[in-house]
This record gives sequence, structure tokens and C-alpha cells, in this order.
Amino acid sequence: MAKILLHPIGHERDAVLDDATWERQLALMQEREAPITEGRAWVADGWGDKGRGRVHRKGKLTVWERFELLRDDGAPVLPVGTFVNYKLEFGDRKQTSPGAGVVTAFTKVHDRWVMVIANDNTVASGSWWPKTPEKIIRAQVMAERLRVPVLYLVDCSGLFLPEQANTFPGGKGAGHIFKRNAVLSAEGVPQIAGVFGDCIAGGGYMPIISDKVYMTEQAYMVIAGAALIKGAKSQSMTSHGIGGADVHVGISGCADFRVPDDEHCIAAMRREVADLPSSAVPYYRYGIDAAPPRFSPDDLTGILPADHRVAYDARELIARLVDASLFQEVLPDHGTEVITGIARISGLYVGILANASGLVDDPNKPGAKRPSGILYKQGIAKLSAFSRACNDDGIPILWLQDISGFDIGPQAERHGLLGYGSSLIYANSTNTVPMATVLLRKASGAGYYAMSGLPYDPVIQLSTPVTRLAVMEGRTLSIGAFNTKLDDEFEIVAESEEERAKIAAGMKAVEARIEADMNPINAARQMDTDEIVLVSELRERLVAWAEMAYQTYGHRRIKNPRIWSMHDLAVLTEPR
Amino acid sequence: MTRAAAPRRGTLRAVFRRILIANRGEIARRIIRACDALGIESVVVHSTADADMPFVREATEAVCIGPARAAESYLDMEAILQAAAQTESQAIHPGYGFLAENALFAQMVLQQRLAWIGPPPRVIRLMGEKSPAKDAMRAAGLPLVPGSGGLLDSLDEALEQADRIGYPVLLKADAGGGGKGMRRADSPDALREAWVSARGEALASFGNDAVYLERYLTSGRHIEFQVLADSWGNAVHLFERECSIQRRHQKLLEEAPSPALSHEQRMAMGKRVADASAAIGYVGAGTVEFLQDPDSGELYFIEMNTRLQVEHPVTEEITGIDLVQAQIRIAAGEKLWFTQDDLSITGHAIELRINAEDPDDGFRPGPGLVSALTPPTGERVRWDAAVEQGTKISPYYDSMVAKLITWGPDRDAAIDRSLAALDSLSVDGVPTTASLHETILGTDAFRAGDLRVGIIPGRPDLSD
Repeated sequence: MAKILLHPIGHERDAVLDDATWERQLALMQEREAPITEGRAWVADGWGDKGRGRVHRKGKLTVWERFELLRDDGAPVLPVGTFVNYKLEFGDRKQTSPGAGVVTAFTKVHDRWVMVIANDNTVASGSWWPKTPEKIIRAQVMAERLRVPVLYLVDCSGLFLPEQANTFPGGKGAGHIFKRNAVLSAEGVPQIAGVFGDCIAGGGYMPIISDKVYMTEQAYMVIAGAALIKGAKSQSMTSHGIGGADVHVGISGCADFRVPDDEHCIAAMRREVADLPSSAVPYYRYGIDAAPPRFSPDDLTGILPADHRVAYDARELIARLVDASLFQEVLPDHGTEVITGIARISGLYVGILANASGLVDDPNKPGAKRPSGILYKQGIAKLSAFSRACNDDGIPILWLQDISGFDIGPQAERHGLLGYGSSLIYANSTNTVPMATVLLRKASGAGYYAMSGLPYDPVIQLSTPVTRLAVMEGRTLSIGAFNTKLDDEFEIVAESEEERAKIAAGMKAVEARIEADMNPINAARQMDTDEIVLVSELRERLVAWAEMAYQTYGHRRIKNPRIWSMHDLAVLTEPR
Repeated sequence: MTRAAAPRRGTLRAVFRRILIANRGEIARRIIRACDALGIESVVVHSTADADMPFVREATEAVCIGPARAAESYLDMEAILQAAAQTESQAIHPGYGFLAENALFAQMVLQQRLAWIGPPPRVIRLMGEKSPAKDAMRAAGLPLVPGSGGLLDSLDEALEQADRIGYPVLLKADAGGGGKGMRRADSPDALREAWVSARGEALASFGNDAVYLERYLTSGRHIEFQVLADSWGNAVHLFERECSIQRRHQKLLEEAPSPALSHEQRMAMGKRVADASAAIGYVGAGTVEFLQDPDSGELYFIEMNTRLQVEHPVTEEITGIDLVQAQIRIAAGEKLWFTQDDLSITGHAIELRINAEDPDDGFRPGPGLVSALTPPTGERVRWDAAVEQGTKISPYYDSMVAKLITWGPDRDAAIDRSLAALDSLSVDGVPTTASLHETILGTDAFRAGDLRVGIIPGRPDLSD
């Protein structure tokens, strides 16, 4: 089978769900989306009109205005880390740092995907809070893995000093950003910096390792500001006087070019990107254009049930994420609790590994069913084999998680699921092909790990408004915690009604705490997931990821499809 | 007048803190004036002979870089770059002449991380040689003097081409210069003869007998277009100047606009010039020179000067655009702050080069002490002077005293004002060309705008 035969999957929405169910599920999901969209607006507002006014009065543009000028017409801005530090308060004045005071987002410049790291100058003049360095570093690591150019829009007044102990010293503290600068350069990833305003101390070092540094007339870069220099007052020394473009472009050579203002700086940075090699994406489409799914990605808002106890057809999801809704399922008859297969996204080949939902046939008991969303021996083996094959073939891997965990109990242990699971983890841990993980709904325990959750370094991990990320479901945890008070069927065994009520309340409290823990914003706040996206936005995100995975050539294996090792799996499982 | 924007508010300064001027005399003072207007400090380099010149006093800082001989001072690239480093200048303005069209110097300036107020070295090189410049401008859509378009392989080809071009023709040596290896032919027979003699002379003088043909223009008008282009690919023209009054290829008197062009002709050719400049990647101020065939009115590209011209003030007077400030702002990376539609011509301007030369004695330079100088007066009279009363003009450099520029609401008014200004001007101690200008401006021919290169109205003795 040296040909890749993709088959149509999926059905029209009204064949998948009747109108009443559709309306109900749509409404439930939209309810869950509201806190996310509100949260995004809160973050984008920065420190509000006051912050924006301050920026404009200096003749500068705000960070979002800079993005508007930087991106190609019609290009999306796809941020990561939007919810970092969400509504956390710092210092005596209880100040917030929306987005940790920095915007890290993918966008397109001259048809090339780039990662833009831009200080939010409406938030405390772009200073660095706890988690700001980690957020910047995460963006740099993503760019490094995908080999996409990095554009720094620097406008940063240094550390938020009351919290310096949480930003300065650590292994992932501010200093590590410069190490990542160096590593990006050592790997030949282009870095272009535009300095638009203050760039003090740590901020001062950030542009220097970049290949090109542009300074506006307002900009200055200093190791320390004039405030810390003896005699500065009597000599009327200003930070701009000692570290402006006059000094750094003309004399020290620490910057390369001077430009009159923000607009010219952005235009100049765009011009630099135009000089970089164009995208290899058209080459790797192997003659087939990009195509939208046959069914609208907006359908996902109602098709993926917000209630995690309600099942759905995972193939209907996949149909709305892949080009022309075409999919070639690999090993369809084995391990039916998971779905593996090849599709195209933006015309580019990707490998998809997804949990099925609802009940599937139990191979050990003909005629019986067992729940999917759990990993059994065959499913784990299938995931491992497929993951290895994709890595072997240079096919970027997409994990779609909706998983409760591994099978448990005596049979599971005898089957050696610990071993099979570890084999899968080993494969994922040592893969070099770009991987992306989407936590559709449940992302529990070992299942979250086995399907390449964040600890396994996917290039990006996306959550949805209904993601449930925890070591286990609340109910499971409460059963474990109160085990001595429960019988075989996990029913409460109590002496009195009072005691029963107390135990029940205790279990409910545990469940409630886990439920609260699982709010996707909590994970996003502390960078345990990269971004929360609406399910209707997934397609756009996956198009971006796929294109970035193929944009730059020469750094990873991309095998031509006719000699994929994937084909061997099919041959070996063909009926003899 | 032109509707154009002032330097953008909100920036601390639009441009550099300090510019080094690698030139002297009138143009150095001109550039200092532009720097002052933009709030930029100026540094001048000068020879020992120029130590007391006004331009040295007027700059923020002055550095003496060598003795009088230009080769050891104004042309000493290393000395100039050292002065720039010592004075912490951020940019170099080369003026005109000296190193202004020296691609190597431009390259060295850029290598030192200084801004070069001029076009990129590649463009200076391209426009610096006749053949590549013509090829580039032909490809960019400018009309050239009709010619064979390339070297001729045989006499037969030459005769064929001459028929197509039309007699009289000029057979020219490709490696030639200074008039050598060039023969005019008015007929096929003459061409047969020229084929032998021109190639013989070329082989003897340059070791290369390759020749090409051009139509011979018996006379013409020198018309040049001013161009401004930014580093973002935008280019506009600021209309034309006429500089037909020359003595041995030295311009004496210039005016803007040319009385010989209609509005349509001006705008059509101007657009082609701007487009061609953008196409070759020009940045800054430049001038594209044409020769106009007086019979047909056709304009033919001759060459491009990749620098500011001496006669730039007449363009400034009719458009309201300060060209030197524009050069500086463009070099600072600004996008052009006006479009072609924002530009328009108002009135007419004339420039008279007042040199310390005796027009009645073969234009012999008369250096010496300017014992008395009363600048000209009058409405819209501009005096861009190299010297003041008490300045000693040395014999080492050009003999310019000043440029006398007048503007009038029309050409007649400009002529009248020029004459009145000349009347109010008095210079003692050195001879000047003022009286020559008086003569020229007083002729009917000049008043009628009837001009040709090689003819100085009112002075047949000085004409070719």
C-alpha cells in the first residue's frame, strides 16, 4: 500500500444530533465558553485606558496596535499563555499582571509563521512579573522546536522589584531567557528584535543576541538606568542619553539600525522577515491544496458535549478538524478504544491519535462491551506503534485526549499495562517529530501522561473550556479517600444517618475541590497548559501548528509518503 | 505650494544627534543650516587652508584633517572616518564633489556603522559608469539617445544601424573618453571613413577598438529632473531644472522649471524618472540628466548624478521642499512624508553662480581677499554664500563666492528680480562673474527662453 487512501468520514450535523440535543449541548458549551472569552477580554485590556493613555502620550503604540501593524492582512494572532497570572495580585498595592505583562503569539508575516514575544507596555510599562520569564521561555522553546523565527517587540522597564525573588534567581528565572536566546541562535533560528522604549537590565540583554536589533528614537538599552549611577543628577544624565540609538547604533554597535518611530520599526522588522526563506509548506503538500473540512468546525461547539459523562462519536470530531474530512484509519480493528490514523491539515500530512467515546466491543468477552476513554492493552500497543511510526516517518503527531485513565484491576496488572504504558511513554519521550496535544475533555492521571500531556514536551498543549485535568476524577478521589467507609459497590457504610450525612458531605467536599481544581483557567494560570481555546477555534490552531511543523526544512526528517513505515503496520495486519 | 508634513510629533528627534560634513565652503554652510533647523549638531572637517572660513566657525565642532591639497584632506577617507569616530558622529553627509560619488567611501562609511546620507554603494557604482548606467535606465524605461544599443560587429552592421538611427551619427569607442575614438558621420560614405579612423584611434589610445553608434545631436538643452526616494521603495520627482547655460561643461546659470517643457511632458517624464529611480533601488536625493533634441523636443537620458546638485536651491524655491533636510530624514529611515500629488510648482526660480573668475579673461580664477562684500537684497532673494566680507579665497579649491537665487511669481518676474539683485550686490577684492550674468539676463534670447548648450546669450565670444 504505497498509496495513501484517505476516506471520507463524518456526517452532517443534523444526522449526528437531533435539534433538541444540539440546542441543549450548544447552550451548555456556550455557558462554559463565557468565562474564557471574558477572561481574554480582561487580559487584552491590560491596565486599561490609563495604561494605554500613558503609552500614546509618549508617541508610542500599545502592544496590540503593534501586532495589528506587524501581521499580514487577514493573518490570525494566536497567543499562548493568555491566562498566566490570571487575576493574581502582587505586592502591597495588589496589582494584577494580565498575561504576565507579555504577549506571546504566533502570527504570519509575509506568509511566514513567526513567534512574537512582545512586552505589554500598558501593564506597568512592560515590566516582568513572576511567571513572565517562564512565559517568554515557553514561547522561545516552541519557536526552537518548530524552527520558526522569533520577533521580540521590546518595551520593558525591568523586573517588578517587589517580586524579584520570584523572577530573578531561578533556573527558569529571567536569566534563562538569554540562554534560550543563545541556543536559538546556535541552532540557526532567526531572531529579530525591535526596541521601542525602555530596555533596562534584563530587558537590556534580551535583544543583543538577536541577529538584528532595531531601535526607535525613543528607545534606550542600559545595563542600569541613570537612577543608579553616581553623579547622574549633577551631570543631567538620562538613561536615554547614555543608552539611546546615538550610542548603541553609532558608537557601541550593540544595535544595528535606528528608525524614527514604532511604525517604521515594525515595517523594518517585516522587511527583515521578507528576506528569510519562504515557507516550505507548498512543497510538502505533495501536490494537493489545502482544503477546509466538509463540515463546519463551528459544529464542534455542540457536538462535543460539555457534560463529560455524555458520549459522542470521536470520528465526527476528527471530521471537523481535517482537510475535506478525509481520514485513513490505521489498525481500525485493534484497540478500538483509541483511534489512530492519517489525515491532512492545510494539505500537510499529520498523524492523529484520539480516544474513542462511549462503549466499544470487549475483545476478551465476545458480545460484551466496555467503556472507551480508558486504555487497555491493545489500545496502548496501537498508540505506541503508531507514535513510533509517525516519528519514524516525520509525520507530526496530534494527540486528542478525552481519557479517564488506564484499565485497572487484576487483569490489567497481569496484562502488564504498567509495561505497555511505559513503552508508550518511552516512545513519546524520545520522539523528535513535532507533537501537539489537545485536552478535549477528560485528561486524567496516567492517561494524561500516556497520551503525551505537557510533561512529555509536546510543542504545544491546548485545553478547551471543558477540559478536566487532574490526577483523577473527584468521585474517584473521594472513593479512595473514604475507602474504609465504603462497601464493595462504593456505597457508604454508616452507623447512623448523621454519620452517613457527614461522610457524604466529606466526599462531596473532596469532589468539589477537585472540580474546582479542574477549572481550565487554574492550569492555564500556572502554565500547566499552554492555552485555552474554544472548540470552534481548534481547526485554526491545528492549521497553524501543521504549517509551522513543515515551514522550515533541513532540521528534521520528513520522509516521502510512499516509503512510510506506517505502511508496514497495514501489511502486517492484513488478513492473510 | 507643496502640501507636505512637518517632522512627526511624538519622536524626541526625527534624526541623528550629530552629522559629520565631509565637504567645505558653500555646501558645508548649507548642510549646517539644515542641521540647525533639525536640531542636529554639525561637525566639519577642514584643511589648514580653510581654517578661517565661515563654515568652520558655524559648525558645532571642527576637526582639521590635513594640509591644503585635497588629496591629503578632503579626499582622505581614513582621516574623515577617524574624525567621525573621534567626534561620535552618527552620519556623514558628503555634499557634492569630493567623495560624494565615491562608492568605496560610501562602503567604508556603512561598514563603520555610520549612516551614509546618499544612495547605497551599489547604486553609486551602477550610475557611475556610462554603459551600465544607460543599460540600467533603459531597462527601467527611460529613453536613451537612439543608437546601436550595443557594439558593432562589422561595417555593414554599422551602415544598417545608421540608416535606422538617422544621420548625422556619432561613431564612439566603447573604452573611450575625453573625445578620443569618436567620429561624426553625416552620410554613409563618411561613416565608411569614420569606421576606419575611429577604430584606429581607439586601438591606439585605449587598446580596444570596439565601437557603437549614437545619433549625433547637433545641439540641445540640458534638462535635469530632481528625484527624492526613501529606503522603502517610494520615489517622487520634484520637477526639472534647465542648465543649458554652460562654459566647457561647467554650469553658470540654472532655472526651474524649464521654459522648454509643457506640463504634460514634465509630468510624463517625471513619472518615468521616479519609477526608474525606484526600480534601481535609489535612496536619497538624485538628479537624472537629459539632453533635449531642440527640433523634436525629445528628451534623452544622459546620466544620473547620485548626489545633491549645486543648483538644488531653484527646486527648493519652486516646491517649498528643503532638499538637504529631506536627505537627512531619508537617511534616518523615514518613509517619504509626501506623495507625488502633494507636490506642485509655484512660480519660477533662477540661480546665478557668482564665482571669483574673470569671464573676460578665459574665466581665470582670481583668488584673494574679499575686501568688501555687500550681499544682494530684494524680495525672495536668497544668497547661499561660501564666503563673507574678509574671507580669503584660496587657490586650492573651487572659486565659488556664492549662489544668487531669486524667485518670482513667473519667469519674467524672476529675471527682473535677478537683475535688481545683481544691481544691489557688490564684491571687491576678487573678480566675479556677476557682470556676465547681467549680460545674459539682459538678452532677448534669454527672456524668450531660447537656450542651447554651448551658447551663452549675449556673449558669442564665449559660445562654442
